[in-house]
Amino acid sequence: MSAPLPRRIWSWFAQTRVGRSVFRVGPPQSNLERSQAMVSSFLLHVQPAKVSRHALRASYSLGLGLISLYLFFILIVTGVLLMFYYVPSTLQAYDRMKDLQFVISAGLVVRNMHRWAAHLMVLFVMMHLCRVFYTGAYKQPREFNWVLGVGLFLMTLGLSFTGYLLPWDQLAFWAITVGTNIAGYAPVIGPKLKFLLLGGNEVGQEALTRFYALHVIVLPALAGLMVAVHLWRVRKDGGLSRPDLPEDSVQSLPLSQLPTNKSYGLMELARGTTPQVGRDPDDEIFSWPHLIFRELLLFMLVVAVVLFLAIFWNAPLEELANTVHPPNPAKAPWYFLGLQELVSYSAFWGGVVVPALLVTALVLLPYIDRKRQGVGRWFARERAVANTIFSVCLVTAIALTVIGTVFRGPNWSWVVPWQTPPAITEGH
Amino acid sequence: MSDGSVRSFYGWFTTLGLLVGVLVGLGYYRDEYRPWKDYQRRFIREEIRRATTPDQRVLAQNTAVQVRQILLPDLNRVDRCTTCHLAVEDPSYGGYPQPLAYHPLHDQHPFDKFGCTVCHRGQGRATTAADAHGAVAHWDEPMLPLKYIQASCGQCHDASDNPAAPELERGEQLFETTGCRGCHRLGGVGGNIGPELDRVGARRSPDWLRQHFLAPAAVTPGSGMPPQKFAEADIEAIVLFMLSQTGANLPGFYASMKVIPSASEGQRLFQQKGCIGCHSVGGQGGKVGPALDDVGLRRTPEWMMQHFRDPQTVSPGSVMPRFGFTEAEARALTDFLLRLRDQKLALSIPALMGPVDRGREIYRKYGCSGCHGPEGKGGVPNPNAKTAEQVPGLTYVADGYTKPELKKLILRGQREIVPLDPRRPAPPLYMPAWGSTIKDAEIDDLVAYLFSLKPKGEDLGF
Repeated sequence: MSAPLPRRIWSWFAQTRVGRSVFRVGPPQSNLERSQAMVSSFLLHVQPAKVSRHALRASYSLGLGLISLYLFFILIVTGVLLMFYYVPSTLQAYDRMKDLQFVISAGLVVRNMHRWAAHLMVLFVMMHLCRVFYTGAYKQPREFNWVLGVGLFLMTLGLSFTGYLLPWDQLAFWAITVGTNIAGYAPVIGPKLKFLLLGGNEVGQEALTRFYALHVIVLPALAGLMVAVHLWRVRKDGGLSRPDLPEDSVQSLPLSQLPTNKSYGLMELARGTTPQVGRDPDDEIFSWPHLIFRELLLFMLVVAVVLFLAIFWNAPLEELANTVHPPNPAKAPWYFLGLQELVSYSAFWGGVVVPALLVTALVLLPYIDRKRQGVGRWFARERAVANTIFSVCLVTAIALTVIGTVFRGPNWSWVVPWQTPPAITEGH
Repeated sequence: MSDGSVRSFYGWFTTLGLLVGVLVGLGYYRDEYRPWKDYQRRFIREEIRRATTPDQRVLAQNTAVQVRQILLPDLNRVDRCTTCHLAVEDPSYGGYPQPLAYHPLHDQHPFDKFGCTVCHRGQGRATTAADAHGAVAHWDEPMLPLKYIQASCGQCHDASDNPAAPELERGEQLFETTGCRGCHRLGGVGGNIGPELDRVGARRSPDWLRQHFLAPAAVTPGSGMPPQKFAEADIEAIVLFMLSQTGANLPGFYASMKVIPSASEGQRLFQQKGCIGCHSVGGQGGKVGPALDDVGLRRTPEWMMQHFRDPQTVSPGSVMPRFGFTEAEARALTDFLLRLRDQKLALSIPALMGPVDRGREIYRKYGCSGCHGPEGKGGVPNPNAKTAEQVPGLTYVADGYTKPELKKLILRGQREIVPLDPRRPAPPLYMPAWGSTIKDAEIDDLVAYLFSLKPKGEDLGF
């Protein structure tokens, strides 16, 4: 059977003089070349030449971290395109949104992609966090990578929140007003923090300038760096988490006895859990093509889903921001609505204590829960207590968010969405 | 993993590749296909059909299909209406169906300077019919129905004395004579029982306004505003006037065009600039300058215009200062002075009227009649007020109050109205405090007028 056409084209190109200078290795034919394909490529070398079969199991990781990463890529590309047109001015920003919609080629679809990818990224980062918890993957030696992950989760929220203001419509203005008010409830530093964030006491040009700078430079650069460290740590901490092997199946070989016919080199040797040299070699599989092709396919799938959403559903754009006419109710972005619901009971407890405790608990988690049991399996019985506590928090958070999103109407009163609300007539 | 599963990757690559390809194609098609392009092609075909010379034909064939827009930086607007409405400036398209119809009467308001939406409203930046015409979610400014289009004149021009906007003038007269200002403030003048109306034309739709006049409580529950008994045509006129109150403050060039030279504009200037301090009309006024009753017989309009520009050039040694009138203002004053020649306008200049006549004007100006009825005859309902569930009439006010008492009542108002039945809601209408609005000089005239309402024969002889 002849190779498929793209592969034949690549084979031809790779053995030309130019092709050799670019790729260094053509389409890998042997295991040696498969390893070289990974190691000699800048883009691929962050990943190992061989990878555990367990790591490829879609039912284990669900690809959530990778999907989050791809969404981040899409956001960077569409974000840069949007920057070509956007002007962070309260007088122009909204008009620019209209121009994107009506006259700029592909402006609407790019904005839609950016918006939906941003919402999806918040969602997938959250789900990734849950996956890592439920599989106990934050345990030694991956404690610090979990902390980095929590940081990336907060960074994602920060990116989404700062981006929310930029269209300068009613939705943006009042969501940020509500969101920054929640920040203002913190004792002592709250009002200062709010002032620092907004560059004033109210959302205005200063706030837009700050949010823009944070959104396009500060947070993406920080998040990009943290993503790099996060991925590097995945590699250095021994790849994706997996169940511990029974003690007797591990034979530690001294360095001098390492097989010489292995295609990977010393760079594979890292402290602690890597590499799996000496373990059953059948448990490992070449990254090219098994990992790389899967990653590429998942990327295409993510692009397809985001494109699909962007083509058929437009990102919201309400009226121009009106500083004296708040919508009723004014709602924060959806991922803060659970918080806003809590704030409606108590500004201090809901807006300050609960989120602060949650973030602290998440950061400290791997240092508190140190038993190395039930790692690498979903809902391991040994972790029943931890899983139960986490699930209660998660279900509560989801319930509060759903209530805040769907069941709250004017003046934050209880409404049932499928019943027609009494006609709200405008008063004087 | 077997070779078979590696090969199955190719199937997935093909499938997903096709999917992404189809989606990109679909996105491109939806981005590329825009209804305005069809309108432009139709216009170009029409132009080619109508071409009579080869040159015209080539010109038409070479017309680009592209977004057309009028940039109006001073108005902070971009009007893309002409992307579809391509023939607005071509009279030969008179009577064509939209969107290719000709727009008559634009010589005074050239499109390149005014655009479209400043009068017609709608969403100028939009390029689809629904979005551009503005009756879509999250757009506050849908197109103004054509029958109300004169409302837009009122954004820049005074409602009176605009021959092109008779409905607007009618609406203003209705507003001023119906007594709306008794409860509503407009341009800083009026009561505070109802809301301010300065931006009402931007906030409310024509339908809302109509319903509000017919049955205020139906659209604003709890409103104490009495239903207005307007004739159908009058309702349309007053709705139109309300729609003209957008609070738009048009800058620069547009503000300078605001004055339409007219005799009544001239009269306003005449009062405002204090001409009466030096000149007299009807024997009243200053003696420094000449009397102006017959100036229209003595001087030509050209002389007057030049005199307003610079008095020294036509009257050497004149003590009259250069006021720096604009051309339009000079024209307006000239028109006013010419009219003095044959009309007894003096009667309508407040400084020259008697106190009772001035008081009547003040009663009208502040909309007292809105609650107290024309000439203080009363009859406006005020549910649950002890005074027969009506706002009291003023005919016999001279019997119940001394002048100082009446002044005090007007200036301080009466917030609490004694209810007929304490268990029912308090009466909606009350007497606002006018102290901050009515000028000191006006209150005496107003009281004089109110005292004059008492029928003759029962006169106490004040």
